[in-house]
Amino acid sequence: MKDKGTKWWIAIFLAPTLLVLGLFYIVPIITVFTTGFTDWDGFGSPAFNGLDNYVNLITYDNTFFVAIRNLFFWSLIAATLHVGFGTLVAFILYKGYFGWRFVRGVFMIPMVISAAAWAMIYKIIFNDDIGVINNLVRQLGFSGFHVKWFFESPASFWAVTFTWLFYAVYVTLIVYNDLMAIPKEIHEAALLDGAGEWQITRYINLPLVKNAIGTGIILSVTARIAGFEEVALTSGGGPGNETYNITLMLYDGLVNYEYGYANAAATVMIILGVSVMLLINRVFKMNEKVY
Amino acid sequence: MNTRTNSLAERLFSYAVMLFTVIVSTFPIVWIVVSSFKTNKAILGDPFALPSSISFKAYADVFTQYNFLIYFKNSLIIATTSTLIAVFIYALAGYIFGKFDFFGKNVLFILCTITLLVPGYARAQPIFTIVMKLNLYDTKTGLVLVYASFGMALALFILRVTFMSIPKDLDEAAIIDGAGFWRIFWHVNLPLAKSGLATSGILLFLANWNEYFYALVLTTSEANRTLPVALGFFNEAFSYNYTYMFAALTMIIIPGIVIYLLVQEQVQQSVASSGVKG
Repeated sequence: MKDKGTKWWIAIFLAPTLLVLGLFYIVPIITVFTTGFTDWDGFGSPAFNGLDNYVNLITYDNTFFVAIRNLFFWSLIAATLHVGFGTLVAFILYKGYFGWRFVRGVFMIPMVISAAAWAMIYKIIFNDDIGVINNLVRQLGFSGFHVKWFFESPASFWAVTFTWLFYAVYVTLIVYNDLMAIPKEIHEAALLDGAGEWQITRYINLPLVKNAIGTGIILSVTARIAGFEEVALTSGGGPGNETYNITLMLYDGLVNYEYGYANAAATVMIILGVSVMLLINRVFKMNEKVY
Repeated sequence: MNTRTNSLAERLFSYAVMLFTVIVSTFPIVWIVVSSFKTNKAILGDPFALPSSISFKAYADVFTQYNFLIYFKNSLIIATTSTLIAVFIYALAGYIFGKFDFFGKNVLFILCTITLLVPGYARAQPIFTIVMKLNLYDTKTGLVLVYASFGMALALFILRVTFMSIPKDLDEAAIIDGAGFWRIFWHVNLPLAKSGLATSGILLFLANWNEYFYALVLTTSEANRTLPVALGFFNEAFSYNYTYMFAALTMIIIPGIVIYLLVQEQVQQSVASSGVKG
């Protein structure tokens, strides 16, 4: 099959994808890295200004500091509570209790909904007048309860956190997939050796799904680095700049035609994302085979 | 595993977690949908009460008075077209990656898929400028192009494996029958790749239907606004008419849920496996 005609066909079949790769990935990524060092506004030709954008990003006000601090705490919550909950659900589904398939199916629903719509739903849930949370608390007897969740400090940080905290179905699915892949013989051998249910879960199953948990942590922290709707459509980064994140800074730079600034923020995003992946890979020794 | 050996406490705990999972996943949606049939007054009166009578007035109003028909059509056109284009061009490439060898193939495939590491929003400014330069700012075509580019890594992952699993004997038999390169692809391989095409198509459609950030950045006129962006504007303009808000939210979330419920297994399976590979 390897004649000259085939070579042409291969080139033709690959051409559209190569065009996409170049135009929408390679050129943009190079642009991001290079114009972060220029004063480009998108119209004139970019002039090199060294680290000005990065200095500006960090020192203009405390927004960058706040964004990084938020990212740190959100990542911590994501890697522990969020991934922990997803993993717990996976282990419970694995037991095959009545209704497990239904739970797995339903857990996925928030993931297939627009993140914009989901953010708005949560904004309404935390609304003081009609929101479920405040009305419930008031009906429970705390009639003076009027926290304006997305507009008050420190409630805003937690309200934003709640929009994603429990929605870890992708962690559940990945961990569940790995649980199903564990050979039955391992469990049988453990049972013969007198291991109990809990011991099998703790000392056999949990270590064998560590790669899946590592992947879950990478995905969840990356989602925090690149989160937008969950903040932009709820608190808008407020009150003040208290719930700002890097994507919001990038968006500000973009709509204000400060492209160098926007791309400096984008570069920070990319570097953080890749670092998190390498770090978790290292910590979880994900390159090593588990069996 | 044998459920009978589990203690009562463990079973209670497990069912509690399962119940909690179902509640956090469905309650917000059910509440929104149910409330969309209530009047604004009823929502303000008691947010937990069921509607006293079913009213579709809010839906009629957002459609007739607030251009939601346009936004709905825009979303549908943009998501469908970009998905079809994406699935087609990545099927072409996936077929090559899955069944042929050429110099630099592995490097190219890694290059295509490593793009997953770069957060989608990080490329916002260059993509904005490219769309401007192509004179496609504030057009449906611009959004279609950008959306078609997004699913690349995911679609290639799925489609490469799909084509790899189609036996090469079939191709060789077709060659003997005198079929050309295109016919072997279109008539022999593509029909057998249906499940992979469907899975990647569904995932891309859901992502495109739901996309907010780029639609916000790349369009400005109402004629090209998509549902998620319209929702964002709606949020500011009608913050006290909750019925409208609920009706608009229902319209945007229901299509995604319906599609998902129809093809649950594929969506779950691809999330599980793409996570492992990614």
